[in-house]
Amino acid sequence: MLILRILIDVLLVGGCFFALAGTLGVLRMPDSFSRMQASTNIPTFGLLGIVLAALLYAIFMEHNAAMAVKVLIIGGFVLLTNPIVGNTLSRAAYKYGIRPKKPMVQDDYGRDEADER
Amino acid sequence: MPKTKFFSVIVTFLVCYLFWILITWSLNIEELIAGAVVSLLVALFASRFFIHTGKMRMANPIRLFSLIWYCLVIFMEELAKANWDMAKRVFSRGPNINPGIVKVPVDVHSEYGLSMLANSITMTPGTITMDIVEEDGRNYFYIHWIDVADGRPEEAGEIIKGRMEKWTRRIWE
Repeated sequence: MLILRILIDVLLVGGCFFALAGTLGVLRMPDSFSRMQASTNIPTFGLLGIVLAALLYAIFMEHNAAMAVKVLIIGGFVLLTNPIVGNTLSRAAYKYGIRPKKPMVQDDYGRDEADER
Repeated sequence: MPKTKFFSVIVTFLVCYLFWILITWSLNIEELIAGAVVSLLVALFASRFFIHTGKMRMANPIRLFSLIWYCLVIFMEELAKANWDMAKRVFSRGPNINPGIVKVPVDVHSEYGLSMLANSITMTPGTITMDIVEEDGRNYFYIHWIDVADGRPEEAGEIIKGRMEKWTRRIWE
């Protein structure tokens, strides 16, 4: 039981570490696209660690199947919906005309759009 | 195609009903009836977005198992590498980034495969798929990359997609 407790705590701390990394990244990165990149840390490994910890807790500590299934479904849906939002947001920001202050190393998207015009 | 439409409504209904039962977690007769009604309504309206073709690809057990293997092992490895890399970038001193947008050719043709690969790339921290275009029968992704290590399309694609593209082809084609 103690080993299980330690495992759950380690997973929780790991998830919190990646969530912290994502949040700090949002604050520290210089432009909006890079901020979006850093924030992807939160719903992938941050969420995964916390969901795994909650799953272990529900199965072995609470013996509650309903809780375990709900935790799994929440994790699955966050993982499914997150990339769609990232894709749409980044494209919308680009089409709206948001550009980083320091120019990008390479901008194939802008180049090909200029060709079309 | 009425037959394909009927089939897709049935499959959508079954998936919705399964999630209803899992979330409510009760076999109460009232809950079951309410779930069936709601799932049927959702299936009638949403089936045309959910299923486009009548091919039963996932009925093949090899494909199903390679999908599960991809999700649980291959993708998790890529995710772990990318997450660790991103965390190091965030905690490093000074702006340790080199962002840019690269255009990368992709050798996947099916609709589901393309969306799975694009979403896998978006989900790994450090790369976001911005758009998919088709030119001369070949598909291209525009990918925003936090650290452009190589600007050439083929090499950049090899670094970003890596094993994910091979597995996507194996599963969906």
